[in-house]
Amino acid sequence: MDHKTYREAFDQIPFSADFQERTADLLRRCARESEKENKIVKFSKTKKLAVTIAAAVALLVVSVSAALVWLTPSQVAELHGQDLLAEAFEGPDAIVIDETVETGDFAVTLMGLVSGKDLDTMNPDPGNARTYAVLSVRRLDGKPLDNETFDFFHYTMTPLAAGCNPNAVNNWTLGAFASGSAENGVYYYLLDTESIEKFADRTVYMAFYEGGAPNNTIFTVNDDGTIDFCDDFTGVHALFTLPLDSAKADPAAVEAFLEEHTTGWTNERTPVEDGDYVIEEQKTEDGVNVTIRPAGGEEPEDAPYTVTPEEIAAGTPYAPEEAAERLIAQNERMEQHYAEGTMSPEDYARWKEEYGPWLEGLRNGTIAMVLLENGTDYSYNVSGEDVN
Amino acid sequence: MVSFGTDEIISRIVERYSSMLLHLAASRLDSPADAEDAVQEVFLKLLTARPVFRDAEHEKAWLIRATLHRASDIRRGAERRNLPLEELAEPAAREDALDLLSAVRALPDKYSAVIHLYYYEGYSIKEIAKTLGLPAATVGTRLARGRERLRQMLKEDV
Repeated sequence: MDHKTYREAFDQIPFSADFQERTADLLRRCARESEKENKIVKFSKTKKLAVTIAAAVALLVVSVSAALVWLTPSQVAELHGQDLLAEAFEGPDAIVIDETVETGDFAVTLMGLVSGKDLDTMNPDPGNARTYAVLSVRRLDGKPLDNETFDFFHYTMTPLAAGCNPNAVNNWTLGAFASGSAENGVYYYLLDTESIEKFADRTVYMAFYEGGAPNNTIFTVNDDGTIDFCDDFTGVHALFTLPLDSAKADPAAVEAFLEEHTTGWTNERTPVEDGDYVIEEQKTEDGVNVTIRPAGGEEPEDAPYTVTPEEIAAGTPYAPEEAAERLIAQNERMEQHYAEGTMSPEDYARWKEEYGPWLEGLRNGTIAMVLLENGTDYSYNVSGEDVN
Repeated sequence: MVSFGTDEIISRIVERYSSMLLHLAASRLDSPADAEDAVQEVFLKLLTARPVFRDAEHEKAWLIRATLHRASDIRRGAERRNLPLEELAEPAAREDALDLLSAVRALPDKYSAVIHLYYYEGYSIKEIAKTLGLPAATVGTRLARGRERLRQMLKEDV
């Protein structure tokens, strides 16, 4: 299969011609209605904030450092336009946690969570219970956090469960959404995940840390199945134990979940993340090097990346114009990365220097591009010299 | 920071992302109408949740992940209630294209997302990893396994 075949198949799907127009109209109508409702929400929030401020003023008697005003989980849900959820956070099923961990420059507080069905009007699947959790982050030096400077994507807030590998039970396997926003100098995370109550007969955690998907450079699994951050993990991190009701555990559902999601885990530090082999991409002066090696295998030392003639022959060659299109698309992405500041000027200059001759070579047939069986593109000079 | 709500921003978001998200949703859902519903719901979620995005890339990643989740939810919901999803409505498609669409939709979620972003959107392994918040090695493995499963399914069809 090649990109062209795949795209052609999907491009034949007959979506409505007026989808964009219809959708934009719908969204505009909803935005107008939401604007009207927001006036009420804001008023309501002001009233609640007034109570919070009164409480904070009272606390000032004993704590002069209490300069920031915190939202409650319910107010955070309101802030995200989720009124049903806001009510749930004030209802009997909500669990108030309010535990704080000071880590790096931050104080991270897990404020509370609630689980239930139909708490989110945008998730109308009636059979789908979800868990919602609110966490706040503030700077220890009192400087305010705001939406412009706090790097939401730099951190992960995810549930974990003892006895389950961190790469088996986490945001990604649980189909979680995280939203974030700053208010009054405090940054709030609202996590929306498949219900974690099914794990309630074991220790269930909420982790917050610098980084992406869990791996063994971040977490270690102890012999008894409990989970900790690695001793040498230096990023911001906090691990909270959730007081879930063990009566709500569903071992059969957990078993089914793990059957679908469990992958290997070892505390040993190898580049192995998942599966049978490791693929690494590395930007070099000559383009992008891709290294593929068996899982657990030794990383080649100073070994140049090579693709054998057999591997090229087994791959799917691109037609010159299709190869050129792929390179042009790659160039557009590079330009976007550069414009967005995620690519250094040096790398961009190097890319631009190579791009022209590379594209010309693809078009005039002196360079060929092939889709290797491992799913990566590989370009090479027809004369035999590597291109990327 | 990117916010959502004004007419201008709504137009921009819908125009920029509709096609990509519709095709992405269609990698999980048989019916174009279901895919359109999923994408509309994601846009509505964006409108109501008002998440704050650091930049356009963050915004796109949120939309992609939300669409994948919503499409999977719709699919799982129908399966749980034992309801058939809407009948395939792609009469104009060639038979080999229909085979390919069916095979992609039959893949587990984790494989089809990677396959679609790679083959339809032309993302690199690293870009997919960043978008889905997965290690690059995991993306590479899923891509290879997804391709292998597709190959087997399409071969069996033949």
